[in-house]
Amino acid sequence: MSMRFEIPTLETERLILRAPAERDFGPWLDFNASPRTRFVGGHVPRNTVWRGLAAYLGHWALRGYGMWAVDERATGLFCGNIGPWFPEGWPEPEIGWTVMEAAEGRGIAREAAQAARTWAYETLGWTTAISLIDPENTRSIALATRLGAQHERDFEHDEYGVMRIYRHPSPEEAVPGQTAPEDLGK
Amino acid sequence: MIGIEPPVLETERLTLRGPEAGDAAAMSDFLGSERARWHGGPFAPGQAWRVMATQIGHWVIRRYGSFVLVEKASGRAIGLAGPWHPGDWPEPEFAWSLWSVEHEGRGLMAEAMGRIARYAWADLGWRTAVSYIDPRNTRSAALAARLGATPDPIAARPAPQDGAPDCIVWRHPHPRERAA
Repeated sequence: MSMRFEIPTLETERLILRAPAERDFGPWLDFNASPRTRFVGGHVPRNTVWRGLAAYLGHWALRGYGMWAVDERATGLFCGNIGPWFPEGWPEPEIGWTVMEAAEGRGIAREAAQAARTWAYETLGWTTAISLIDPENTRSIALATRLGAQHERDFEHDEYGVMRIYRHPSPEEAVPGQTAPEDLGK
Repeated sequence: MIGIEPPVLETERLTLRGPEAGDAAAMSDFLGSERARWHGGPFAPGQAWRVMATQIGHWVIRRYGSFVLVEKASGRAIGLAGPWHPGDWPEPEFAWSLWSVEHEGRGLMAEAMGRIARYAWADLGWRTAVSYIDPRNTRSAALAARLGATPDPIAARPAPQDGAPDCIVWRHPHPRERAA
C-alpha cells in the first residue's frame, strides 16, 4: 500500500489547520500531564502520546481524512487537534477535537470545528456528522451546542465507557459561517 | 502530498512490505491474544486498528518503520518487524512480533530480521540498534542472541509498562564492529 496521501491546509480568519507533525509532541506531553486528559481517556504512558500523534497521520492514510493540528495564525500558538475522525469501533464518523488550555475562551475551537465540519460536508460529502463527548465534559458540550449540535443519544464504548452523541446540523442546516442562535452577540 | 512508499524487501521465504489496512484483522487476533503480553497487551479489539494507524504514521514521520512479514508460500501476513523509534524511546530499536505459535521454530523471524538489519545498516545508515525485551520473553531473547546482540546493562531503558519488570536492552553490533 502506498502511504502517500494528501492533507489539505485550511485557513480561517484566525487559524491554520495543517497536517499533524512531530513538533506537536511537546505541547501534547504538557496536555497529557494536565488534568484535561480526563475526558479523552485519561493520562496515558508517555510513549502513548507519540503513538497517538503517529496514529493521526495513519488515520489520514487509512481513511483519507483525519485530525488537523490547529495553529493560531498571529502567534503560531498550537491550539489543539480538530477534524473528521472515524477509528474502528466508533458508531459513525465524528467531528472530533482536543483543545489545549491556552486556546480556550476565544472561540478558537468553534472556528476550527466549523471549518472542519464544512470541509467534511463539502469535500467528503458527509450528509451528517456527530461528535462523541464525555457526559461530564461541559466545555466540549458547550462547544457542540454552539455549533448547533444536539444530544441525540448515548453510546457505550468498550474501553472508553459512555459517550454522548451530539448530532450536528445537516449540511443544509449548517450554512458555513452561520452560528447557532444562542451564539449571537458573542 | 506527504507520506512515503515503503520499500519491499525479499528473503527466501518472506516478502517484507509496509503495513496495510487489510492486515488489521490478523494483527487484531495477535494483539488480543496472550502473545501480545510482551508488547503491552492483550489489547481490546478496536486497538488493532489504532496500532495499524500508528505503524503507518511512524513510517510517515520517520521515513522508515515496521514491515509486515508475508509468508510467500501461503500469502499470509504472519508478523511485524522493523526499525522502530517512537518519540520517547531512548534510541532506535529493532522490534519484532510473530503473530501465531504455528510460525515459531522455523527461523522465520531470524530470516526477516537478518534482512531488516541489513536494510538498517546499509540503507538507513544506522550505526547501532537495541531491542527492548521483557526478561520473561525467552524466545525473543534467544532470537536477539542469535542475531548477534548482547545485553547492554548501561543503556537507557524505556519506562516499564504497567507493572512489567524493567526490560533488558539487547545491543545489536554494527557489522563493522563484529568483523573487527
